[in-house]
Parts: sequence; C-alpha cells; structure tokens
Amino acid sequence: MPENRIGVFLCHCGSNIAGVVDIQRVMEAIRALPDVILVEDYKYMCSKPGQQLLKDAIKKHNLTKIVIGSCSPRMHENTFRQALREAGHNPYLLEIANLREHDSWIHSDDPEAATEKAVDLVRMAVARARLLEPLEEPEVDIKKTSLVIGGGIAGISAALDLANAGFKVYLVEKEATIGGKMARHDKTFPTLDCASCILTPKMAEVGAHPNITLLTLADIEAVEGYVGNFKVTVRQKPRYVDTEKCTSCGDCAEVCPVDVPSEFDANLAYRRAIYIPFAQAVPSAYVLDMDNCLGVDAVRCGKCKTACEAGAIDYDDHERVLTLEVGTIIVATGFEVFDATQKPEYGYGEYPNVVNIMEIERMLSSAGPTGGHVVRPSDLKEPKRIVYIQCVGSRDERTNRYCSRICCMTSIKQARMLREKTGADIWLFYIDLRTFGKGYEEFYEATAEAGVTFVRGRVGEILQDDETKDLIVRGEDTLLGRPVVLEDIDLVVLATGMVPTASTSHVAHLLNLSLSPDGFLMEAHPKLRPVDSFNDGIFVAGTAQGPKDIPDTVAQAKAAAAGAMALMGKGRIKVEPYYSVVDEDKCAGCRVCISVCPYNAIFVNERGASEVNPALCKGCGTCTATCPSGAIRSQHYTDGQIAAMIHEYLSAQQ
Amino acid sequence: MRPVIWDDDEERVSDVRQAAQPCFQCGVCAASCPVFRVAPEFNPRIAVDEIVQTGTVAVTGREWYCAYCLMCEQRCPMGVALCEILVAIKNLSARDGKVPPSIVEMMDVIRFTGKVSHPSKGTTRRRRELGLPELPEVDAAEVQKLLEVTGAIDRLTRYREAECEPQ
Amino acid sequence: MKYAFFPGCTIADRLPFIEKSIRLVCPEYDIGLVGLPFTCCPEPNSVQSFSQYTWLTMAARNIAVAEEHDLDILTACAGCFESLAMAKHMLDTSADTRAHVNRALANIGREYTGQARVVHLLQVLHDDVGCKGIEERTLRQLRMRVVTHSGCHLLRPERVLQVDLAEAPAKLDALVRALGMESVDYMDKTMCCGAGIRGVNRDISFAVLREKFAGMSMVHPDAAVVFCPTCFISFEAGQRVVNRMFGTEYRLPVFYYTELLAVAMGLEGTESILSGHRVQGTEETVARAMGHGGTPAQAPMGTHGAREV
Ligand SMILES: Cc1cc2nc3c(=O)[nH]c(=O)nc-3n(C[C@H](O)[C@H](O)[C@H](O)COP(=O)(O)OP(=O)(O)OC[C@H]3O[C@@H](n4cnc5c(N)ncnc54)[C@H](O)[C@@H]3O)c2cc1C
Ligand code: SF4
Ligand code: SF4
Repeated sequence: MPENRIGVFLCHCGSNIAGVVDIQRVMEAIRALPDVILVEDYKYMCSKPGQQLLKDAIKKHNLTKIVIGSCSPRMHENTFRQALREAGHNPYLLEIANLREHDSWIHSDDPEAATEKAVDLVRMAVARARLLEPLEEPEVDIKKTSLVIGGGIAGISAALDLANAGFKVYLVEKEATIGGKMARHDKTFPTLDCASCILTPKMAEVGAHPNITLLTLADIEAVEGYVGNFKVTVRQKPRYVDTEKCTSCGDCAEVCPVDVPSEFDANLAYRRAIYIPFAQAVPSAYVLDMDNCLGVDAVRCGKCKTACEAGAIDYDDHERVLTLEVGTIIVATGFEVFDATQKPEYGYGEYPNVVNIMEIERMLSSAGPTGGHVVRPSDLKEPKRIVYIQCVGSRDERTNRYCSRICCMTSIKQARMLREKTGADIWLFYIDLRTFGKGYEEFYEATAEAGVTFVRGRVGEILQDDETKDLIVRGEDTLLGRPVVLEDIDLVVLATGMVPTASTSHVAHLLNLSLSPDGFLMEAHPKLRPVDSFNDGIFVAGTAQGPKDIPDTVAQAKAAAAGAMALMGKGRIKVEPYYSVVDEDKCAGCRVCISVCPYNAIFVNERGASEVNPALCKGCGTCTATCPSGAIRSQHYTDGQIAAMIHEYLSAQQ
Repeated sequence: MRPVIWDDDEERVSDVRQAAQPCFQCGVCAASCPVFRVAPEFNPRIAVDEIVQTGTVAVTGREWYCAYCLMCEQRCPMGVALCEILVAIKNLSARDGKVPPSIVEMMDVIRFTGKVSHPSKGTTRRRRELGLPELPEVDAAEVQKLLEVTGAIDRLTRYREAECEPQ
Repeated sequence: MKYAFFPGCTIADRLPFIEKSIRLVCPEYDIGLVGLPFTCCPEPNSVQSFSQYTWLTMAARNIAVAEEHDLDILTACAGCFESLAMAKHMLDTSADTRAHVNRALANIGREYTGQARVVHLLQVLHDDVGCKGIEERTLRQLRMRVVTHSGCHLLRPERVLQVDLAEAPAKLDALVRALGMESVDYMDKTMCCGAGIRGVNRDISFAVLREKFAGMSMVHPDAAVVFCPTCFISFEAGQRVVNRMFGTEYRLPVFYYTELLAVAMGLEGTESILSGHRVQGTEETVARAMGHGGTPAQAPMGTHGAREV
C-alpha cells in the first residue's frame, strides 16, 4: 500500500461549531496522529476560498487522503467531492467527521465534552481514511422514455410536458378514461371556471399526441431495473370495445338492459353495463363492464354487439400483459375522498340528506345526474336550508390528523354557487378557514358577502326527523360560547377530506417508494426535493404525494416532468460506487444474499456465483452482513474501515 | 393523562395543562355536551382553554356541573381527555374544601357504611320477601382507613372548616 | 362460569327486584354468582371528583377482594362497571400508580394484582351466551316497541371499555330483539340521562333528562329498556319530576333488561319483580306485550306469567 499522507481540515461553520468546540485543542490532539501531514482550520470550508484552500493543500502537500470536520455529510459531501475531483483527486478518498449535527448542536451546553467528542470523531475519521480506496463511478445510459402512472390532471400535465419536449411517454390509467377527479368537478375555485372546459382540451391532446401511448384499464404489476433502465410489466384489462372503431354513438348502451350505479356520478345515477364514463372521455369509446353484463351469448343477452353498426364490440377481447422499457417514472396516482361512514355521529350513509362534497360537485354539474340542480336525495326537492361541516375526516386524531387543504375552498365555492343559484340559507361550520392560495381569501370574503353564514365551531352531531328526513344540527358557536341548534335543515354537506388510495400504496410497494406516516407518498426532501422520490429516476406528483388543489397539483406535475427531462436529456448518469462486490472465490453459491437483498440487486452468474448489479445495489450492506462465507464486501464501507474506527475509538480509553 | 394521586399542586396543574395542550378550540366537546345544551354557562371547551391560556386552574364552581357522561372525550378530534381534566380540576378545588354539599354527604355515608346508600328497613324487608340472600358485611374500619390514607378525611375536614369560616 | 357478583349499592339497596331478576336469570345460563364483601364501587363521578386517589384505591380494594377468591367481577350497573374497569385500566397501565395504590392498600392488608377481569352483565349475555342462546330459551315473544339506553358508562370511554360502539350501540338492541321486541332508533340515543349531577344541580340535571325524554317520546315507544340501575331510577322516578318541572306528561314504563328476560323465559317468581315499578301502566304494558290485551283489572300480569306456556 502506498504511503498515507492525510490532511485534516476543521471547519468553524461560523460559530456553529467553533462556538462550542475548542478548535485549537482539537487541532493539537490531531496533529500528533500517525500519517497526519497537515491540520488546518477555516471559517467556512464549504465557501469558495475554503474549497480553494483544500485544493491548494492537496497539491502542495501531495495529500493522499482528506478528512474534513464539518457539518453532516448529507449537506456538503458532494461539494467537497467535487473539489477533490477538480484537484485531480479521486473523490472517494474523503472522510467527513460530523462535528455539527452530531456534536456542537446537540452538546452546546457542555463545550468541554463536545471538544472531547470532536477529537474522538476526527480520530476515528482519520483511522478510516487510512483505509479508503479510490473508487470508479460507473456510468449508465438512460432510456429517453417515461412512464406516467395515473391519468388525473397531474398525470396528464406531466405527460404532455414530456411529450412536447420530445420524449416518448406511456400513460397508464386504471380506469376506462383519463381525467381523474377533476373531470367530476363542476366549476373550480377561485375563478369559477368550468372544470371540463379547461380539462377536456388537455385530455384530447393526450389522446392525439404522437409521443404518448395511452393505456387505460391498466395497472402496473411489476417493476425491475434501475434509473435509466426500468422494465415495467403492465396488465391491461379487456375493454371489449375497439377504441379505433367505436364512434361513441351510444347505440349499444341504448339496448343494454342492465342498470348499474355510476361511480363517476358518485352513485347518484345509473349507467348501463356497456357505457362511457362521460361524454368527453378519452379514449372516446364505450367500455363493457363484464362483471355486470348479463351474458354475451344470444340466449342470455348479447344485444349490444348486434346493435353496434361499427362492429366495434368484441366479446373475445382478452387481458394483455405488456413490458415497457423506460428511463424515468412519474407516479401520479391521486387521492380518494374520505369515507364519512367512519364518523357515525354525522349519520352519513344512514340519513339520506347527509351528503359529501363530491356528491354536491356532481349535482352542481349540468352534465351530472341531476342536470345541475342540487337536491335532497330523500325527496329530490330543492334544499332551502343547508349546513356545511368542515374537516370531516381531517384534523382528527381518530381519522386523519392532517389538513386536507382543499375542502375549505371547495365548500366555500359550493356554498357560493348554491347561494347564487337558489338563494338557500347556508351555514358553514369551520374550525379554521384555510384560504391560503392566490385569490382565495378574496373569494371567501365575496362568499360571506353573498350571505353565507360562517360559524366557528365543529358540529357535534346530526339528528334526523325520521318522518320528514329533515335534520337537526347541533354545534357550538365558539366565538360566542353559545350552543347552536339548527332545526329543519334540508341538507347537510360534509366537507370530506382527501385520503391516500390503496392503489398508491400498492404502486409504492412495487417501486420501493416510502410513504409518509399519513399514507401519502414521501418526497426526498420536503423543501428542496419536493417531487423526487428516494429512488433515482422516480418522481411523485399531485395528490398522491399529499392533499393539494389543482394549481399545486399541476405545478408539481410540471416539476416532476422537468426532473425526468433533466435526467433523460443528459442521456447518461453516474452511479455512486457504494455497491457490494462478491469475491467469487469465496462464494459458495448458497444464495442467502439473494433472499435478503431488499432491492433485488443480486443474481447468480454463469459461473454459479452471486453477482451484484451495481446500478440496483443501494449499498445497504444487508448481504455483506448475512453472507456465511464472508464473500461480500460493501465498497466504501468495508468491514476493515469500520473496525478501524471502532478500534481507534476504544484505544483512546486506555 | 395519569390519575391525579400525588399531592403536589404544581405537578397536577402542569399535568392538566399538558393534557389540554392539543386543543384547537373547535367546540365539538361543547356541541356534544348535554349540560352545555341546557346550561351554556358550563362549557367544557372553555374549562380546557382556561388552563391552556393561564396555566392555572380557575375554580369557578361550574366544573361540578360536568355529568361525567364522557361524550366530549368521545368526540374530541384531538384526543383531549376532557373528563379527566375536569376531574383533576374538581380534585384541586376539593382539596381546598370547595365541594358541593351533596357530594360531602355522599362521602360521609361512604365513610361510615362503605356504601352510597343505607339499606333502609323497607329494603331489607323487601329483600327478604323476594328471597334474596343477605348482603355480605363490609368492614367499615377498612373503608375508614382507606379514606384516611388517601386524604379524603382531610378534605372533609377542610370543607367543614371552610364552611365555618366567616365570609 | 362463576363470578364475584357486584350488584352495586343502587340495585342491592334500592332496587332489589332488579337483583331478583338477575338471580332468576343467571342460573339458567350457568352463570354462578358469589357474594363478597364489596364496598361502593365507588361511584364514578362524585367520588372521583372529590378525590381520584380515594376513588381509585377503593375500586382497587374491591377488585383485590375478588382476586383473593380467584374470581372475575360481574357488574350489573354501568357506573360500577365504569369505576372498576377504568380503575383497572389505570392500575394496569401505570406501574407507578399501581405501586402508589398498593401502598395504601397495604394498610388494610390487601394487594391489587391485576388478575381479575371486570365485566358487565350485558357482555356476558350478549358476547358469551349470545342472542341466539337467549332466543332459544325464551318461551314467549314480547310484542313491544321499545327504545334502549345502554348508559354512558357502558359505552365511554370507548377505547378503554370496548363494550359496544359508542356512537351506534347495538348490543342491547340485539338482546331486546332476541325477546321478540322491536327496538326503535331515536334521537339522542347515546345521550346522558343527567343523573350524574342530580345532587349538584337539580334544575340542570332534570333539564338534561327532559331533552332525553323528548328524543325518546318522538318515536312513541311502549317502554324504555336500560341495563343500569341509575339510568333506571333516572328514567322512572325522574319522569315525574320532569313532568312537574316542565309541565310535560311523560308516562313511559322503564325496564331493566333481565326483568323482561325473566318474563320472556317464563320463570317462576317474575310476578314479584314488576310490582316494584312506579310508572303507572307498567304491568299492563308487559301483559299486552305477552298478548293479553285489556285492562289491568282483567289481566294482572302476574297470574298469566306462569300459565302462558
Ligand atoms: C369535491 C372536490 C372539489 C374540488 N374542487 C376543486 C376546485 O374547485 N379547484 C381546485 O383547484 N381543486 C379542487 N379539488 C382538488 C382537485 O380535485 C385535485 O387537486 C386534483 O384532482 C388532483 O389531481 P390528481 O391527478 O393528483 O389526482 P386524481 O384526480 O385522483 O387522479 C389520479 C388518477 O390516477 C389513477 N390511478 C390511481 N391508481 C392507479 C394505478 N395504480 N394505476 C393506474 N392509474 C391509477 C386514478 O384512476 C386517477 O385517474 C377538489 C377536490 C374535491 C374532492
Ligand atoms: S381545508 Fe379546511 S376543511 Fe379541509 S381539513 Fe383543512 S381546515 Fe379542515
Ligand atoms: S373537542 Fe377537543 S379540540 Fe375541540 S374544543 Fe373540545 S377539547 Fe378542544
């Protein structure tokens, strides 16, 4: 082994470190260590002059290994590695001792002990540095194709940006049409522009875009590979209708004898077993719901096929399994509306005239089940007295603790429209009104002016008069400290929040993505990497990541598309060399490592020995620790390096 | 919240305050409270708020209006144990001898009989007529002892003193 | 199954006919009742508010007494159940609390160990015997429309007691249906009856009870069925006070569940039970439910009870 010439650089981080740790004393203690040629300190090592000092010292003193005592390697490891590269040095010959997060910040009340700890940390870093080896960073090609999972407004926006930039996109949607929840809205806050007017042109664009392959009725089943080279298995259910031939004339639905509650209309209306979710659906084609079909043979039914002049119906259509090869993936699987039967005191599901905001959204829509009239489900009469209840299933220990963000504005929007359309008396019970977006507070003020009464307080319970199905609402006006009892209420609307979908956690599982405690997808950093996942090449967008409104959803989708483009535009990417390597001479071929690897990165090669795919390996070390023959080595975290650190630490005690 | 059994005022108040901390003043507790419905001068939300805001337990006397039906706790979205908090407040005022007379009466009966009601001659006869077994005797001395070591007797004494004090 | 029977002060001293019905019914399902020297549970609101430490220690003593006999405790009152179950919860979840309480108990030579379970009769009948088991043993169906009231202290705090759904209790209704009765839903079903503050503030307490009655009377039931003696007294005696205070005219018979169970099972001795009731027309209501329409003079319920089979 060549001679070790170690340079140690201690950063003050202003007073962050130096204010607690006695840097001079640490320098004294370190100087005497074997192989340490140089010990320097500087106010801000990460600054330009700090980096320059590092680069100059490497050259001047012919340093072979670098130790830096500074903040966490999560902050500036890359900065310093780059400085090493610029000095013509291998970037992996660097070790950082975390003197800030692990020391000065948490021991600010005991400078003496903090200084001792700093000495220990730097000594250990020096011990490891002696054994560091130069590592090469493998480069991989990136396929210039993207997969977008979920065809709501998030998926649509991301797909269009990518496609317009010249990348190929597969858009996978599990329903029969794209559009997601936004397709069900009537008007959107705060501008009250009609949702379909702004959404459907985008949907049509997706349908017609030469760079986009749209796969509806499809879900992903398996994902292999790594950034730049994912291999995705997609299972697509049969539609039984040829989208090319179908003219959406509707003759088939006309003759279909089956009525099924329509999911798209929040089950407030019926559709047929062969149906189109809504007029502007994309693809613009009918779909046969085989679960509810009476039977396709002439004996049981088979009427639709006879009725279809275009000959688009194919009862023999079958499931397809496709394999897609893509470089990047964007997950935009959206949200679901909270199921209010979980709050039994509100009687949802039991009292017909207690509904949720999504149902009102459909009723308000002129294309909806009631032709744009909001009615009492019990007798289809127009409600004259309406109560809105906020935060149902949100900000609640028993259901979800988070704020769903969109329900305040959604209720205000609906209340405003109802008030203007029908002049109904409306009370809106809230805890806090969250009108945070651009133009939102103004929208709220205008709604209050329009005569909607806002009551600060959460409703305790709703009771029903079983004869009239009228409702009684009990709450407290917390600003007055008085009970509020509203009788003869025609309609109660629950502002049900957003919840993560089961299908999001399913996709997360397949892609090895983390979920936050609330069940939404976790981003790599809440502020600085809001659309990246922890897995390179995979991005998150829209409400799958957390509750948000349309503007935020679209912004995030465009950001995710930009992130994917940044990777694919470059075409090649360097992979960190923190992978494990198998010593084939020692490997007994027992395959234990394959069974424990959480990233499926190990395979058996043609020589019968285990081999690690560097691009898949995250360097977690599970296999290294498990291998009974000691044949696996985690690069950059070798047993020897770690043992040396422990040894160094313990030897000081004597 | 852990039960209030230590005789340290400050610790209790800070316990209670901590338990009340998550409250965001939504009013579901009051909206669900049967007493508040007929007597709005008693408001569980405000009882909780007072502790959070002032860090002290204001003993107003109204805390005794809580019927202990636990409806507020049931519905509180923040998991605040309101009834427990109210119990703690009442414990503190009882320590100072501020207790409604009906409760003192009940405590006195328990003190001497171990029960909240004496079996009257009539019920004893009724029990015999119905062929019910004799009730097992409770050792009144045991009860006395427990009331003594848990401070109940002191509280009763303090109540009597407070009663005699000229205003 | 043998239990340490905890009738509670109210049943034992004020409503012996309820105890009678329990003692009639239990042996039929092989539920053995052992009497032990229990004190007051103690009462969950007033005593606990006066001194939680005293309340907890007395409850711990009662449980310790059952433990000494290796028995689980069977309560018949929602209040006793609440006190004992909550005390048990506190003692079982905090070693500190338990040690503190055991130091007090040491003065009387007892110790709480946490061995004994605390159950309410509703749980034994519904969860162990089961509605089917109940129905099989009835000799007659009771044709009655009733409202049920499980009692606050059987339902809440839900996460600790876990007896039934606190917002939509169904067990007592299921038991009632097993006797052939119809259980009608009503407004404020889970609301309190106001008994907890009867001594502290009579006016408020009865105002609460009035609200409760307003909800029940809207569905015109034949009777109310409860599973707690305090609720029983609150409803039975309380309705007269409500009538006097607010000028209402409620006359709603009230039953403790096992009374009706005994009647439906056609057990000997049920006649003596119902005569203890104070609401006029209680016995006629039962007679009618058994299919003996007519006036009380023609059909005093007791005489028909045993013959019906
Ligand atoms: C009642 C209501 C009213 C609203 N009103 C407004 C408003 O006025 N203004 C406003 O700005 N915002 C409003 N919002 C918010 C708005 O709906 C959302 O911000 C927006 O729809 C989120 O879009 P998305 O693409 O993230 O999710 P979604 O619309 O849920 O789309 C997700 C898509 O992914 C698909 N999918 C899910 N899992 C899979 C899978 N495994 N494979 C393939 N596909 C999958 C789903 O089928 C769906 O099509 C409202 C929300 C509600 C509930
Ligand atoms: S947006 Fe409003 S209604 Fe929705 S959870 Fe947040 S505060 Fe509650
Ligand atoms: S219900 Fe809970 S959060 Fe709401 S006001 Fe009452 S204590 Fe506070």
